[in-house]
Amino acid sequence: MTVLAVSNLSKRYRRGGKPFAAVDDVSFEIGPAETLAVAGPSGSGKSTIARLVLRLLEPDAGRIQFEGADLLILSGAALRARRARLQMVFQDPLAAFNPRSTVARALDDPLRIHGIASRSERPRRIAALLERVGLDAGLAARAIHEISGGQRQRVAIARAIATRPSLIVLDEAVSALDVSVRGQILDLLLDLQRQERIAYLFISHDLGVIRALAHRIVLLEAGRVAESGDARTVIASPQSAVGKALVAATPRLNRIKTP
Amino acid sequence: MKRLHRFFQTPEAIAGALILALLVAIALAAPLLFPGDPQAIAGPALLPPLQNWSLPLGTDRLGRDVLAELFHGARTSLAVGLAAAAAALLVGAVVGTLAGFAGGLIDEVLMRITDAFQTVPSFLLALAFVSIVGPSLGVVIAAIALGAWTGPARVARAEVLSIRERDYVAGARVIGMHPLEIAFREVLPNALPPVLALSSVIVAAAILTEAALSFLGLGDPNRVTWGGMIAEGRTVLRTAPLLSIVPGIALVLTVLGVYLAGEGVVESTAVRRSLS
Amino acid sequence: MTALLSIRDLTVRYRREGVEVTALKGISLDVEAGERLAIIGESGSGKSTLALAVAGLLAEAAEVGGSIEWQKPRSSHSVTASHFQPLGGRDIGFVFQDPSFSLDPVMPVGKQIAEVARTHLNLTWREAYAKAKTLLGRVRLPDSEAALRAYPHQLSGGQKQRVAIAAAIAAAPKLLIADEATSALDTIVQAEIVSLIRGLVNEDGLTLAFISHDIALAATLAERIAVLRHGELVELGDTDQILNAPRHAYTRMLLDAHLGLDAKPLLDRQGASA
Repeated sequence: MTVLAVSNLSKRYRRGGKPFAAVDDVSFEIGPAETLAVAGPSGSGKSTIARLVLRLLEPDAGRIQFEGADLLILSGAALRARRARLQMVFQDPLAAFNPRSTVARALDDPLRIHGIASRSERPRRIAALLERVGLDAGLAARAIHEISGGQRQRVAIARAIATRPSLIVLDEAVSALDVSVRGQILDLLLDLQRQERIAYLFISHDLGVIRALAHRIVLLEAGRVAESGDARTVIASPQSAVGKALVAATPRLNRIKTP
Repeated sequence: MKRLHRFFQTPEAIAGALILALLVAIALAAPLLFPGDPQAIAGPALLPPLQNWSLPLGTDRLGRDVLAELFHGARTSLAVGLAAAAAALLVGAVVGTLAGFAGGLIDEVLMRITDAFQTVPSFLLALAFVSIVGPSLGVVIAAIALGAWTGPARVARAEVLSIRERDYVAGARVIGMHPLEIAFREVLPNALPPVLALSSVIVAAAILTEAALSFLGLGDPNRVTWGGMIAEGRTVLRTAPLLSIVPGIALVLTVLGVYLAGEGVVESTAVRRSLS
Repeated sequence: MTALLSIRDLTVRYRREGVEVTALKGISLDVEAGERLAIIGESGSGKSTLALAVAGLLAEAAEVGGSIEWQKPRSSHSVTASHFQPLGGRDIGFVFQDPSFSLDPVMPVGKQIAEVARTHLNLTWREAYAKAKTLLGRVRLPDSEAALRAYPHQLSGGQKQRVAIAAAIAAAPKLLIADEATSALDTIVQAEIVSLIRGLVNEDGLTLAFISHDIALAATLAERIAVLRHGELVELGDTDQILNAPRHAYTRMLLDAHLGLDAKPLLDRQGASA
């Protein structure tokens, strides 16, 4: 049983007149309630993969099976309906919302578009979503730019789970947060995964965060898979050059161990 | 309130706002102060100003009350100027948003149409349109808008091109929003500020175009217009020059007022933007 | 050790949208000549305001209280005033988070570096360009001859930051301030830039103020760490002491929140598995 199966995915761009492969023959699978991390240096194709999986970009080759059906043959209304099950949380929670939006409107949109609740019922659903992500329901009336960065990212998560997805793509979703907030957001993500059995495609450059959260990892270099496997095993003893470089470059706290 | 406060910080903006307020007051007061048809004969022809206190600005060639004509003319100038500018901004914003958001063939087609309109001088376009369809208030408004929507369309398209790459637009797609809703509800409102900044110039130009059309006899014949008054006065320019000069001054003041107030608004919002 | 600068009771306030914000509250801190000092904190801690205040780059509208006193330079510049006023660019090099903002997009990077050297070191253009070429070599840009003529958009993020560092040290300043200089870069490039800064600081005997949100990264570079929170200095100490015997609960929280490669995975703590 897999939620997402990506096979032989490729995407080429032209840069300065020369074609170059942003994503080159990449394959991976994610099961229910599983977290797959996609890591690599900048320019390795992580974010392109996120956008391909979400059909924000069209691949040049390859297949994307989502919940057992071909995602790439869908278009128009059928694709929009399918999006309810496949959601995303962005890196910068401020940029991810319409600057004129309020919290209530940001959460109302998915409920309205997918006909999940009637107009009269939606305020109650919005309050429940806010409480689900650990926010006060009274926050609904506030403008997006008035709340803190951590609250904003919680609203983004609430928006993503509003349509009960089976997979959420987290594109550097905790990289812009303060460390004191980051831990709480990671806890929330783990809790949601356990309760709702949501799978995560976790795009990140931070091996420390990946090791804390992910079950498996795919390491990319220049658009190709350099190495993949159990997250902790790969990070503990990377085999590829890029894996070794990433592990070596991750800053360590040289604290004297106290029992 | 804060924005209003900032608006009133430059003397130009205050002057513009005062002129506009006076003009609006005049336009609103016209039917109260001068009920009845301003084009009706009110006294002897060519009565000079300040001779008869019931006709302070005198009468024109046909014995019509110049002050009443001036007041009612303000209504026409303002109505046509604002309506034409609103139509131009609306059409321009919609065309620009569609072109910028859709891209590809739709963008090409819409922008080539925009080019076509932009290469024809807008006054000739208005002239031709009114000559063919016939002069009435609605036609004059449409004719002026026809030549004025291309600027807003280009500005809107440029703004939309940058906004559509932002994360929140991708986010709207991810939650399954319809492309038209994304274009008009998510993107267009955020692309409006620079488009609206054009409005003072467009309103001023529309008022002048309306006057020019009326001067050439292509205005609505059932309404008093300043352009028409200037044209009327032209035949007696040597003996009664004020008949042309008075509506001319009204026209200049109006355009100046619109322009200054518009710049004031742009200035005050620009300060707000740079602060945030 | 002598203090390069002494910050006493520094308070910075500014108004934003009519609301008064206190960015720094009574900071007192000595920066020793030749030391590597890290200033760490989360968003809103005032760490960047402190960096800008030291560099004299605060916006004019900011209300500044307290003092920043510099040690008088031993040599050259004929300073008659009791307080030596440092000059940005000549005495202080500043590296910002995003090099795209500090580099001129329509000027070759060689010229941008040469301009700094020419202005502050009274060199001819020819000498300044020779200096720029040496500097580009020192920041380890692969082909310094070609890099001289490159425009910023032709370089990667890491290469741009190397150019920004070259420009910052072009006039041989005493103090190098790096404000989140590696935050926009990926882990591998970040490690390279940190090692580059470490090398340059050692070779030139520079004093370094390294501003960062990342305590682990700061600890790899700094001898002393200052921890800021809500505009206040909550703790200042040697890196070893801060890491192993933090006195303030906030410092401890920052350390515990760090997710290193040896931390216990959250997955286990929650008892979840798939």
